[in-house]
Amino acid sequence: MIRSQQLIERIQKNVGVPWQSQRSDGFSDGILVGSGDTTVTGIVTTFTPTLEVLRKAVDSGKNAVICREAPSYSRGERAPAFWRNGPAPSKDLLDNDAVWRAKQEFISRNNLVIIRLVDNWDARKTDGQLRGLSRALGWDSSHVAPGSGEDAYDPRNVYFRLPTTSLSSFAEGIRKKLNVHGVRVIGKPEAKVSKVALTHGLLLVADAERILREPDLDVVITGDAVEWEAGPYFQDLVTAGGAKGLVLLGDEASEEPGSGEMAEWLKGFVTEVPIEWMPAGEPFWTLPQAG
Amino acid sequence: MEEMKLSRRRFCQVTGSGLVMAPLLMRSQNHSSSSLTAREVVARIKEKVGVPWRTPTADEFKIGDPDAPITGITTTFMSTLDLLQRSIAAGNNFVITHEPTFWSAADVVSDVRYDPLYNHKVNFLEKNKMVVWRFHDHWHAHRPDGIFAGWNKIMGWENYASPAANPFSHEYVILETSLEELARDMQTRLKTRSMRLVGDPKLRVTKLAHAGHYIQQCMQALPNVDVLIVFECREWEAAEYMRDAIASGQKKALIQLPHEGGEEAGMEECARWLRTFVTEVPIGFIPSGDPFWMPA
Repeated sequence: MIRSQQLIERIQKNVGVPWQSQRSDGFSDGILVGSGDTTVTGIVTTFTPTLEVLRKAVDSGKNAVICREAPSYSRGERAPAFWRNGPAPSKDLLDNDAVWRAKQEFISRNNLVIIRLVDNWDARKTDGQLRGLSRALGWDSSHVAPGSGEDAYDPRNVYFRLPTTSLSSFAEGIRKKLNVHGVRVIGKPEAKVSKVALTHGLLLVADAERILREPDLDVVITGDAVEWEAGPYFQDLVTAGGAKGLVLLGDEASEEPGSGEMAEWLKGFVTEVPIEWMPAGEPFWTLPQAG
Repeated sequence: MEEMKLSRRRFCQVTGSGLVMAPLLMRSQNHSSSSLTAREVVARIKEKVGVPWRTPTADEFKIGDPDAPITGITTTFMSTLDLLQRSIAAGNNFVITHEPTFWSAADVVSDVRYDPLYNHKVNFLEKNKMVVWRFHDHWHAHRPDGIFAGWNKIMGWENYASPAANPFSHEYVILETSLEELARDMQTRLKTRSMRLVGDPKLRVTKLAHAGHYIQQCMQALPNVDVLIVFECREWEAAEYMRDAIASGQKKALIQLPHEGGEEAGMEECARWLRTFVTEVPIGFIPSGDPFWMPA
């Protein structure tokens, strides 16, 4: 038998980096909703604990959900400005919100424990989010990695060299491989691309500048970009001839395979209960494009 | 424009090169027939906008000599390099932009001054004696909000503003349609290529609200309407909220537009408004356009 607090302690022992439990901003890693005394019946990893994922977790007999995003549609009261989100909803607004109330009732009725594991997971020597995404794309053998083994997916090893193709067929291939709809691209569709940088989550201008120091880089792939920051930065970069483009997968699409990596990692030291990756799936659908 | 191409090799060479001087307020010579300056245009805007001028504000000169005579005015959503090139090709060296020029909300030049792309953009602006002024806070503060006035016109929703709400409400009651039909109409009217949707395509909808960029606005608006419309909102806010609303049984939907798609029409409205009190030089609205396209 393992209780939720023991699960956290087990993760702390195995994460391989000094545990950061208190952030000066946003949410901390650990239990966001639920009790540390809950007996864990099974573990689900997912990008974001949607009501649908929580229902599937309960249906499969699992009550601990480990995620990157918080359940209440915000990255917290003290979220750093670089997340470019608005203020968290006030307690009054949240408490009276029918959507959150329904979710909260479902969580407590089913004795669920929602656990955040982001900062410590990301601080590991191997970037599990990057490795998961690379493998989901089938790019492992195209990875330009100075190291090997645990060092191969060092967070700085973001470069891949792929067979030369047009930006449009490159983006189409990614979209189909990840089975998502809302992939957005900046750049000329006919531009030839080969060397790419793969990242995940929200790309900031400072990240882009660092990644772009690599010579001969054609395209950067990431989850999302602020449309008055890295978005127009890449529009201008393409106009100036400094790169071929930017491919935005969506946050969920770019981060979800990392939750699969996390499930495999957890199985290495949590053996008492079943562990399953349950992708939240892309939230969006899209219309066919005119022209 | 070939000489403006920044090759990959050149791009890397310039990285880490010397200090880029702040380019503000450099005197330029211009021989246009009118002597109207950007500063005079802005003074008229301040007089006509109908609200006290705020400090601090993003609505400031970002580059160029405000006291040099201008050749023409371009209004746009975003002063991208491509837009600046098109503005010069159209003969307009004064650009009034709703959004930033140097990739941050406050156009913080110190963060990017060693970036070769910054250098490149500044060189283009200086070579063409351009002036860029941002018109964001006060165009929104104008009554009616200039950005939403443009939206209402381009969507044909001027008569659909919700009667239950205040005169400048961003809630609408439109003729009943399906989510998918509404989205198609919006895609066509806004010429947008990167709309993303949450909800049942066949959902019958009639009440809509703009929910800004943030979750608080979404939570406040949702109880009254069928559809929330956001112009750029982080995925973990609006999209996840809507997904749970639907999973918990609510008959609702989300239309997520690119930031440009929701606000560009407001800068066309700005050009119309400017022409009522600036007559000395040509004024053109040039869309910066949807930054994105979606692969097949």
